[in-house]
Amino acid sequence: MSRISKNVILVLLTLTSSAFLLFQLYYYKHYLSTKNGSGLSKSKGSQIGFDRTQWRAVKKFIMLTSSQNVPVFLIDPLILELINKNFEQVKNTSHASSTSECKFFCVPRDFTTFALQYQLWKNEEGWFRIAENMGFQCLKIESKDPRLDWIDSLSGTEIPLHYICKLASHAIHLVVFHERSGNYLWHGHLRLKGHIDRKFVPFRKLQFGRYPGAFDRPELQQITVDGLDVLIPKDPMHFLEEIPHSRFIECRYKEARAFFQQYLDDNTVEAMTFRKHAKELLQLAAKTLKKLGVRFWLSSGTCLGWYRQCSIIPYSKDVDLGIFIQDYKSDIISAFQDAGLPLKHKFGKVEDSLELSFQGKDDVKLDIFFFYEETDHMWNGGTQAKTGKKFKYLFPKFTLCWTEFVDTKFRVPCETVEYIEANYGKTWKIPIKTWDWKRSPPNVWPNGVWPISEWDEVIQLY
Amino acid sequence: MDDWKPSPLIKPFGARKKRSWYLTWKYKLTNQRALRRFCQTGAVLFLLVTVIVNIKLILDTRRAISEASEDLEPEQDYDDALGRLEPPRRRGSGPRRVLDVEVYSSRSKVYVAVDGTTVLEDEAQEQGRGIHVIVLNQATGHVMAKRVFDTYSPHEDEAMVLFLNMVAPGRVLICTVKDEGSFHLKDTAKALLRSLGSQAGPALGWRDTWAFVGRKGGPVLGEKHSKSPALSSWGDPVLLKTDVPLSSAEEAECHWADTELNRRRRRFCSKVEGYGSVCSCKDPTPIEFSPDPLPDNKVLNVPVAVIAGNRPNYLYRMLRSLLSAQGVSPQMITVFIDGYYEEPMDVVALFGLRGIQHTPISIKNARVSQHYKASLTATFNLFPEAKFAVVLEEDLDIAVDFFSFLSQSIHLLEEDDSLYCISAWNDQGYEHTAEDPALLYRVETMPGLGWVLRKSLYKEELEPKWPTPEKLWDWDMWMRMPEQRRGRECIIPDVSRSYHFGIVGLNMNGYFHEAYFKKHKFNTVPGVQLRNVDSLKKDAYEVEVHRLLSEAEVLDHSKNPCEDSFLPDTEGHTYVAFIRMEKDDDFTTWTQLAKCLRIWDLDVRGNHRGLWRLFRKKNHFLVVGVPASPYSMKKPPSITPIFLESPPKEEGGPGAAEQT
Repeated sequence: MSRISKNVILVLLTLTSSAFLLFQLYYYKHYLSTKNGSGLSKSKGSQIGFDRTQWRAVKKFIMLTSSQNVPVFLIDPLILELINKNFEQVKNTSHASSTSECKFFCVPRDFTTFALQYQLWKNEEGWFRIAENMGFQCLKIESKDPRLDWIDSLSGTEIPLHYICKLASHAIHLVVFHERSGNYLWHGHLRLKGHIDRKFVPFRKLQFGRYPGAFDRPELQQITVDGLDVLIPKDPMHFLEEIPHSRFIECRYKEARAFFQQYLDDNTVEAMTFRKHAKELLQLAAKTLKKLGVRFWLSSGTCLGWYRQCSIIPYSKDVDLGIFIQDYKSDIISAFQDAGLPLKHKFGKVEDSLELSFQGKDDVKLDIFFFYEETDHMWNGGTQAKTGKKFKYLFPKFTLCWTEFVDTKFRVPCETVEYIEANYGKTWKIPIKTWDWKRSPPNVWPNGVWPISEWDEVIQLY
Repeated sequence: MDDWKPSPLIKPFGARKKRSWYLTWKYKLTNQRALRRFCQTGAVLFLLVTVIVNIKLILDTRRAISEASEDLEPEQDYDDALGRLEPPRRRGSGPRRVLDVEVYSSRSKVYVAVDGTTVLEDEAQEQGRGIHVIVLNQATGHVMAKRVFDTYSPHEDEAMVLFLNMVAPGRVLICTVKDEGSFHLKDTAKALLRSLGSQAGPALGWRDTWAFVGRKGGPVLGEKHSKSPALSSWGDPVLLKTDVPLSSAEEAECHWADTELNRRRRRFCSKVEGYGSVCSCKDPTPIEFSPDPLPDNKVLNVPVAVIAGNRPNYLYRMLRSLLSAQGVSPQMITVFIDGYYEEPMDVVALFGLRGIQHTPISIKNARVSQHYKASLTATFNLFPEAKFAVVLEEDLDIAVDFFSFLSQSIHLLEEDDSLYCISAWNDQGYEHTAEDPALLYRVETMPGLGWVLRKSLYKEELEPKWPTPEKLWDWDMWMRMPEQRRGRECIIPDVSRSYHFGIVGLNMNGYFHEAYFKKHKFNTVPGVQLRNVDSLKKDAYEVEVHRLLSEAEVLDHSKNPCEDSFLPDTEGHTYVAFIRMEKDDDFTTWTQLAKCLRIWDLDVRGNHRGLWRLFRKKNHFLVVGVPASPYSMKKPPSITPIFLESPPKEEGGPGAAEQT
């Protein structure tokens, strides 16, 4: 009897589990055919890969945005790179001659990244609802508007920074670009707030949003890839090059306000005129160097002014920029001269301690220091014209970030505190009006004397 | 998980099959032992395989299943979000669903408390006289509107009737009198109070105290009244305590179709009252206007900054007219609210616009001025590409062709450095002095009230030296100062494209408004084609003025210019009069002339090099100040300029109000 019941149980179990198995198989097949019915049937023929979730998600997203007139453009570094490599081929493939293979949008990955200029987005609220009706599950990440940050008394509606819309297992990451003063686009930091489901998508794998970023406003072009019409930056190469160096730091407006509460701002006419002239000079220098394609950053007093008080220090009397010596171009001098800034003096040479100084309008001087890289530090040189004495200013190694200053986009050292503390010591927060460039900086080291035979070359005064 | 339901359906099918199989198997297996063994192991193996395959399938389908079930979720999320936006339920609304309301009325103090929370308290001296009205949401107990009508003064009862009529049926109304509320409470208002079920309201007498709680269109929930015993004394203070039963949220809301717009409307209407038909259940007034787009709109991408304070009803009216103007682009509009007021933000949200709140800095005029500065700076930060910004205030009606007017004239600001601004407002453009909507002027004064600011002017000149908070300056007075204006001029239309309707305000009161703003002409014609816009440029305008003066007929200077007969009863002529103006800043005669013409006379406005242009009796009327104006040479030698003396000091003062 017990044997029979054992058998019975065994058979019963087998039968139910096979029934279960059959049902699951049936359901699974059923699910697949309904979920991607059209995609599957169409691509069954010669086309390969078009049934992928990625491709379907992208297709639906593009349908959605084009029907709502939302001008999104593709910024996904992986795909842009692929497109860039096969650019000729992509360009030649017209819409009609459909490709047989899904090459770009079907590469396995978790996200496809698009971007959008916020001011061109007319119907955000409605768009969101339509997306959800289409089956997208969307996450919106908002934050306060950094453009209102420096006016502490303003509090506005939050602005959207990122949308992440998931369809099946693939997510579309929509980076919302905002226009900033200085004609560039800014995107925010993707910060997960408390209530957000951290498992919604693998956030760590996102290509954008780890830091805020700044980009040149890209011109766009329409292309057809994998049977989909998408907008991409006209110069994908340039955009791709910008990505790794796009990190943006906001000026510390709160600390700057605190600074001005402690040390009242200088609002005399002289201070205001100096600031105006310095601002114009900085903008002119930025324009000139950008045209040459030379990387530069705010250095010394100008950098301190930015970091400490978000403005130009009115008694600094000049503006200072830094350039890596490897970025030096011989036509820098002539470019500045063409821009109306004659060379005032040139110290050192390309191999050692190069420093250029240009005479701006209205008695404001533009100093450009060239930075030399050693294994564990960076340095720039100084030269005393009278004595031919050389000085060396040491800095810890740093990388470059974007920021906004005097309505323009500038680079600054990302490790700003370290940079400033090297140059001005721990007490940089306290304004000091008397400053001897040969003695005051804690990072200055004597570096010998130029041999008299070289003076003609390394000390040029105009 | 709904999709799993089919499984019970399958079971009976399996079970039926199973029985017959079992019987055959049992028979066979008892006979063949080895085979039975084999089958047993086979079954166990099969079970194992099934388990593995099952696990794999479960893993595979889990994502798909969650996908399927999540399709339902967004709706829920949205409802949750809506729930959160609604005002928190009051304590009393829990199981009890009753509010206890206390209303106090007396000579010097009124207060209203709902569930122990004071929602109104006024014991300030010389303030808040009249009938205080509070509207509560009948479902939540949330305060939706708070008003005071000084029915001791004339016309305030009309405003009260207007307001009470707008309140939706079913709302809880609370009234209480402070000091005196009956002197100008007319029959219409009394009849309305009677229709609300009030006993004492219609019989309210001199210096009576009165407290009332009732439901609009429903029962009275409590009322107390105390008669004043004598003319010189007040009624005894009354304290009314009553319970107000709450109704369900369902009843309190209208059943509008579920659209994006109605969602905004519902949010708005559940919070505030007193905006008329926007919250009407049956036929709500639209909140989206979609006016015709402007062909070739040059100001489509010009940001519009609306400067607002805490006058939400004004803001509502203003935004309605702004959003109805042809060529408006709502995403360019930002409303800057001076202070953390909720109701103006609600109005902004109703129209789906961007609103920014500003912590007040300083006091009075300096507060306004700091608010302006923050707003302008923020505008250019938010729209870094913009070369201009349109600056509006919350108490302006905007003409239907406001943007068309700007679109046709804005190139002047780009091309002519001698311009300071373009303004939609003509200080001298009253009903009886403005005529031609296609005509523009150049004036040396800055009118404000709907104007365009050049970014470079703001960023390079104004922002760096904007008056600091401790200087209690008016921003507009400061902008008119010669140090700022530096001889530049503004373009204005003859017929204004904005209308100043604000009666309450920092520098504004009813009498002042009546005298100087009410009769202002306001263009209502859409799509006016401006005439000869390029003749407004610096040099071209001189040519134009000379041409005008040359063809103008000189008026009879022996007549009194204040008499109506000073201008002949013609139409379409151009006339010129010469008045005495010794120096550039001698406006004695002009001020007197302005007074008797009943136009702006509080300071000098609308002049261009000693010339004023306006319309009288449909004739273009030019006034030239001699000899200060360079146009004095057009004066025929025989004409003696008119001289009007300013009245003796004691009669003077800012008193054009007396004239009307």
